[in-house]
Amino acid sequence: MKRLNRRTAITLVLVAGFLAGILFFCIQLFRNGNDWVGFFGTTYYESGAIYDSKGVKLYDGETGEYAEDWSTRVSTLHLVGDRNFGTSLRSVLASRLTGYNPVTGTTLGSHDVTLTVDASLNTTAYNALNGRKGVVAVYNYLTGDLECLVSAPSYDPLNPPGDINENPAYEGVYLNRFFSSTYTPGSIFKIVTTAAALEEKKDLDAFTFTCTGTYQIGEDTITCPYAHGQNLNIDQCLASSCNGAYAQLALELGGDTLEKYMEQAGLMESLEICDIHTARGSFEAAPDGSSYLGWSGVGQYKDLVNPCTMLTFLGGIANRGVAVVPQLIEKETLSGSAVPAAFPDGTDSFKIYDETTCNRLKEMLRNNVVNQYGQSQFGELPVCAKSGTAEVGGDKQPHAWFVGFVDDVNTPLAFLVLVENGGSGASVAGSIAAQVLSQAAAN
Amino acid sequence: MQELWIRLQLIFTQLAAQVKAAVAAETEHVVLTVLDTVLPVACGVLRVLAVVVAIIILIRCVLSLVREKTGKEIWGWLAMNDGTQLDLRHWENTVGRGGFSDVVLDFPTVSRSHIALLRDDKGNWKLQPLQTKNGTRVNGKPVEHTVPIKTGDIIDLGGMPLEFYAISDQEEREQAMRLGVAERPLSPAKTLGYLTVFQLMMAVQCLPGREGQDLIMIAASFGILLIAMWAMYALYRTLKRTAFEPETIAFFLCTISFSITAAYSPESLLVQTISMLLGMIFFLVLSVLLRDLKATVSMRWAVAVLTCLLLIFNVVLGEAIFGAKNWIDLGFISFQPSEFVKVAFIFTGAATLDRLFARRNLIFTILFCGFCMGCLALMSDFGTALIFFVALLVIAFLRSGDVGFLALMGTAAVAGGWMILQFKPYILNRFMAWRHVWEYSTEAGGYQQTRTMSAIASGGLFGKGTEESFLKNIGAANTDLVFGVISEEFGLIMALLVVSCLVILAVYAVRSAATARSSYYVIAANAAAAMLIFQASLNVLGAVDILPLTGVTLPFVSMGGSSMISCWGLLAFLKAADTRPNASFSLKLPKRIRGWVPPDYDRIYDGWDEDYDDYYDDPYYEDYDQGYDPGYAYDDPYQYNDFDGYDQPEYTQKWTLPQPEQEDPYATRHWKQPGDKPSGIDDWQSLTDQRPMEDTIRPADHRERRTDR
Repeated sequence: MKRLNRRTAITLVLVAGFLAGILFFCIQLFRNGNDWVGFFGTTYYESGAIYDSKGVKLYDGETGEYAEDWSTRVSTLHLVGDRNFGTSLRSVLASRLTGYNPVTGTTLGSHDVTLTVDASLNTTAYNALNGRKGVVAVYNYLTGDLECLVSAPSYDPLNPPGDINENPAYEGVYLNRFFSSTYTPGSIFKIVTTAAALEEKKDLDAFTFTCTGTYQIGEDTITCPYAHGQNLNIDQCLASSCNGAYAQLALELGGDTLEKYMEQAGLMESLEICDIHTARGSFEAAPDGSSYLGWSGVGQYKDLVNPCTMLTFLGGIANRGVAVVPQLIEKETLSGSAVPAAFPDGTDSFKIYDETTCNRLKEMLRNNVVNQYGQSQFGELPVCAKSGTAEVGGDKQPHAWFVGFVDDVNTPLAFLVLVENGGSGASVAGSIAAQVLSQAAAN
Repeated sequence: MQELWIRLQLIFTQLAAQVKAAVAAETEHVVLTVLDTVLPVACGVLRVLAVVVAIIILIRCVLSLVREKTGKEIWGWLAMNDGTQLDLRHWENTVGRGGFSDVVLDFPTVSRSHIALLRDDKGNWKLQPLQTKNGTRVNGKPVEHTVPIKTGDIIDLGGMPLEFYAISDQEEREQAMRLGVAERPLSPAKTLGYLTVFQLMMAVQCLPGREGQDLIMIAASFGILLIAMWAMYALYRTLKRTAFEPETIAFFLCTISFSITAAYSPESLLVQTISMLLGMIFFLVLSVLLRDLKATVSMRWAVAVLTCLLLIFNVVLGEAIFGAKNWIDLGFISFQPSEFVKVAFIFTGAATLDRLFARRNLIFTILFCGFCMGCLALMSDFGTALIFFVALLVIAFLRSGDVGFLALMGTAAVAGGWMILQFKPYILNRFMAWRHVWEYSTEAGGYQQTRTMSAIASGGLFGKGTEESFLKNIGAANTDLVFGVISEEFGLIMALLVVSCLVILAVYAVRSAATARSSYYVIAANAAAAMLIFQASLNVLGAVDILPLTGVTLPFVSMGGSSMISCWGLLAFLKAADTRPNASFSLKLPKRIRGWVPPDYDRIYDGWDEDYDDYYDDPYYEDYDQGYDPGYAYDDPYQYNDFDGYDQPEYTQKWTLPQPEQEDPYATRHWKQPGDKPSGIDDWQSLTDQRPMEDTIRPADHRERRTDR
């Protein structure tokens, strides 16, 4: 019997295993309960509401209702999302909307989230895109508040198109292009090349270039749309977006230097905005002296940028070298009340280039608008900008870019417009930017 | 005139009806508004209070089990020729040189395991030689096979003579009375009182949102639960049984089961209530059956054959519900035979000590288990098959003590599993999602687990009530995912309390083993505990993706009649191993001695006055709880050390060699006098172990006194 008594320890071994498993589970629950409770599959748990900065209800989890207005629904779809959107706020903020904490679970009621985004700006931007695919974003480069964020194509979540999976017009519709896509930057990359040249080449003010429309590197040719003229200084080269001049600068600077400045700009990083991780941009340093290096200096070859990080980079130039990471949430309150339910999200920022470099870039970008794109379309706003026309190969139209900022502390807005296969950057994307900016500035 | 009267009447009736309707509407509105605002808050408060009461109940059960030392019964002695007595503390004792023997005789001519001394419940003893090398003689005659022995027989072990004494009926009765007085559980009635409060709290929480028929159903079921619980306790008291902790825990789990069933669908409470009553009856019947070890052992074959027939019947006629084909539908009732096979398996798998020394004693059990597992595999009930396998491992280890054998069986199982996967690769798909359920959240593999985890997190520590919960609506939630349902509705703490209930039961089984009378009880209790714990592991850890989800029930809690009944059956095995006096039905209570007054030193009392069940007139009662000094019991390191000093080699010498020059501890120690310091129960225990039993039993005058047998 004594012997048998000792053997009963095997029961205790089972008990110990059981308790270990329970303990392991409790630790997991404590660490991941947040994610579990906001698990997207349990639609039962959808609660809380999402409002725009003006108090317009974009989505109510309790009732499943979207905004009343069709254009608001469509233009904020990628923000609010439905089950198909991985980066939508309904998905990434699920645990915050439910009001979860480890002690009371979700029993104390849900939270409402007010966004920094103005739905009416979104509507304007979406209408301005006029059915084309692309991205429009505007953010306050001092506070980080994203005021406008549109990704097209989009659709009405109350009435999803039946051919959404077949129709090429809806290609990539579930992607929020602002966060999750990368594009060939084209000429807007020249800002990076210019910054590299400003810091690396002390005699840049003496730099001149004569554009004949073609620039020969070995057997290959870098082309410009036309001959930009003789003895152009660096400001004129940027304003006219002379490929030849920038190919020469790229060759002089070298691939590694360009890559360094791309990295410094934060364009290779992944930003985190409300648990959404942006796609990383990329740059491949071509061999020194090759035409590829020349092309990479003008934003072609294998250069890729993400719209969100690009916008942050422009904000950084406007903010004299400190890029403030965009944010989406203005406040979080207990549902149906104004009682704050969470601490405000802190602003995050990082350093890009020297203040002097940024000030010089600002001047040059301002020069672009004044001398190239025309100030008239922006009214009184001191806009600094760069357009881009990114060749995407094949027989497709190039992507049209127009990026920049308003150099004014009263309207500290950076903006980014991308129209996929839109054609010429300044004319197509520029007009959209002008429309959105004028409305944003009026706010 | 008449017309006027009729008109007036009409007007009045209409008016009255309108007023009535208006008042009714108004009251209803007010009542509804009050209910809407007050009810959720009240339920929230109740949920927190219920957790507190549940903790009190479990703490009381644990305290009662821990504080009460399992009584060390003495069933006989072996007297050496120098007068030393060696206690026989079990019904089954091994005698030998080895330290693991129950009676250690450290002489070179004695074998390591020399003989076994076995007693049956009628008080008849027999001797079984366990080896042949060093001879055994009884009254001078060589013994090679089991022989009956009686008091006064001289047993010769390899030239070492021992005189055998069995305690008389009178002594057995005295022993039972003595232990019964000294060792009392924490008042079970009070614990049950708390449990009643808990049940009412849980019942009230199930009421919001229910109406009409459902309300009646809930009230009736909880009412029956309450009455059944108290009726069982009354039965225990009538039969002089006072220990009620395992039953209390079972009723606690049943309460949780009723609550989640009521929250899901009150109609299902009918099945749950009926099966609980059947389970209780099963428990009592099995307990009474287990008293008679001889009958139990002789019934093993019959039970095994019946079980096999039942399983074959099931395989042929089984109905598939939720994937596994393990149901039998008799038209008026459908049940899961595999649940009852669990009880039968333990019933046949446990063995008495004499069997443990037989060669190849495990073959029958292994074959039987293999058959059961095979049938279960045919029914695709792999979860239950796994439980059987673990139970087999536990039984095999308890019976053989052979770790190598366990490893061999484990390897065989892995190989078998691999073979099955070769033939039925689709089974592998079930495990695809294991530890990756979030990637399979919309598919069968991870659908239930992800929702369970989500629900657990949303419930927080105190749950969100029965109305708000959603997990209960997921398929098989109230059986397979019940841990999540409890967490969501009543909070994580409550779910963890449910888990601890099962742990307490298992530890209780292990603790009982130290003093159990027969190895049959020890093996049965531990196998049952292992089954419960392993099944709970599969259920709880499977639902939260720590183990693969196998779809077994959580003992006592999951919805389902067969499972409920079989769990009560398993509880009978746990209870049978409990040798605390007045604890179990499975122990026959010797006839009480009329007018018996316990010796003073047996009256141990340490302050739990409210718990004291006063059987006898106790003039000193008032004095017992004064000035208790807990350190008192440990003043004497020599005695303290010996308290659990079974394994120490000096134990036998200290205890078996005569120590005439040593002062009698009972003379020097203050036994309880009015106004005296009472001591802790540990103190009493240690002294009981040493007590030379001069007042009851004295080997020297044993033979004269013994006339009854």
